[in-house]
Amino acid sequence: MLMSKQKQLFFQILTYVVLLGFSFYCLFPFLWMVVTALKPTDQIRTITPSFIVAHPTMEHFINVITQSKFLTYFRNSIFVSVVVTALSLMISIFAGYALSRFIRFRGVKLFSVAMLLSQMIPGVLLLIPLYLTMKDLGLINTYTSLILAYTTFTVPLCTFMMKGFFDSIPMDMEEAAEIDGCSRVSLIFRILLPVSLPSMIAAGMFAFLNSWNEFMFGFVFINDDEHRTLTPGIYLFKGLFQTDWGSLMASSVLSVLPVVLMFVFMQRFLVEGMTAGSVKG
Amino acid sequence: MVAYYFVIPALLFFILLNAYPLITVVWDSFQLINMLNKALSGFAGLSNYVAVLQNENFQAALRHTFVWTLLSVAGEYVFGLMTALALNQNIRCRALFRGIIIIPWVVPIVIAGMTWTWMLDPNYGIINYWLVKMGIIAQPYNWLGEMNTALYTVIFVNIWRSFPFYTISLLAGLQSVSKDILEAAAIDGAGVRVRFFQVVLPQLKSISLTIIFIHLIWTAINFDFIWVMTEGGPLYATETLPIQIFRYAMQTYNFGYASALASMMLGFMMTAFLLYYFMSVRKMNR
Repeated sequence: MLMSKQKQLFFQILTYVVLLGFSFYCLFPFLWMVVTALKPTDQIRTITPSFIVAHPTMEHFINVITQSKFLTYFRNSIFVSVVVTALSLMISIFAGYALSRFIRFRGVKLFSVAMLLSQMIPGVLLLIPLYLTMKDLGLINTYTSLILAYTTFTVPLCTFMMKGFFDSIPMDMEEAAEIDGCSRVSLIFRILLPVSLPSMIAAGMFAFLNSWNEFMFGFVFINDDEHRTLTPGIYLFKGLFQTDWGSLMASSVLSVLPVVLMFVFMQRFLVEGMTAGSVKG
Repeated sequence: MVAYYFVIPALLFFILLNAYPLITVVWDSFQLINMLNKALSGFAGLSNYVAVLQNENFQAALRHTFVWTLLSVAGEYVFGLMTALALNQNIRCRALFRGIIIIPWVVPIVIAGMTWTWMLDPNYGIINYWLVKMGIIAQPYNWLGEMNTALYTVIFVNIWRSFPFYTISLLAGLQSVSKDILEAAAIDGAGVRVRFFQVVLPQLKSISLTIIFIHLIWTAINFDFIWVMTEGGPLYATETLPIQIFRYAMQTYNFGYASALASMMLGFMMTAFLLYYFMSVRKMNR
């Protein structure tokens, strides 16, 4: 149709070559991570590394779990990320609703610009004042400091995502409900949210991923092992395990597992959410 | 009135943790603040700015920031466009390929950095082993440890982690390119290349500009990646401005200097943002 048979075949082959090449590029580090984690140390420290794991061992995993604070970090990360996700969703559902339905108000319009701008503000510039503020409030070494910081950075994006979804829902339903005497808040919870569940999942995933992956604030705000989250924890493992790459990779495997699993099961929502956000925003 | 109640929580977060700290940064940049020497305080005038600009590493850091940002974004865009085009074809297992290609974007930067550091290890790393075996290099090379390759190596790893975002955004853009126009162009005798450059690319223009602009900012201010891979070393070879800010703040505890440098970056960013904003507004009005 659009091109000759021969050309079509050529492009078809090219497409698969590109896709396979990139798949390899994207997946290889994970593969190598797992392979390294399963190898005994003498097979890791060899100048002829190979893919075949002759005697797979769990020693590195056991080492990470028993000889380090890995489980504590893991629990902290889960706790912080879950709280941030819930908090950001709550805040951005209302803010997104306001942006979607009341954008004609001057104040709301101004708020929308503020949200857009705040997405452009880099964390490292805010590091010092936030650190000083947290110190003054006595929040250093608490989960609260991380929850506050992460929520601030995830709310704008989640708000825009929710706004995008609310925009696509016609007003009729709401008007009907309003005539029946439904208040705004119960209207959001009873009518809009059930329809926009996939979008909430997408926004929630974003919030979760962001706080699970964040490094700098966790690194600076938390100095004690009991409250440390996973990313700074793993960074510090580099000093603890030195060149014990088996243990380092084992801890990496354990900490990407939750996000990768989540991603595999909910990929569709994430892609849709990103797509909606990027096309409209 | 309800509308305002709805935005209050988000607004509170914005004011307390974005707007207020930003103002403090600018304010602090004119003050003498050193956490190690509390006696030293008061109004500093422009002296923080002068000191920061005269630091022997400032120019190098500025140059690294530009190289880091431009090369990363260029590489990410090219990779993103290639994968988006490939995924937009009529292929089997599209969802599977798409999933695989997005995966790097989901991993924490710390782990991406550490895994690549291991693969690039000069003694036991797989990449050196392969390169030597294929005869590309004669002997293992310490990619992250040598001054002339460290920055490019970090850029390469950054591209690996960041390009999937472009893939998804561009794929969404490609899917809205109308098939009719493409067929019409083909009937008029436009070849593959002409169709790509004259029909497809122009339609991707607005989305491309948006993601490139956002990523220019996000990359320029990125701290995590360089820090976890090299901490700005070897010998400042990968030190960018955010790393320098962090060093001032958390290693020498000179918050005045750090704030001055941060304010300068902020000013630069704001200018860029406003320029972009007005340009896009003007274009829309035209």
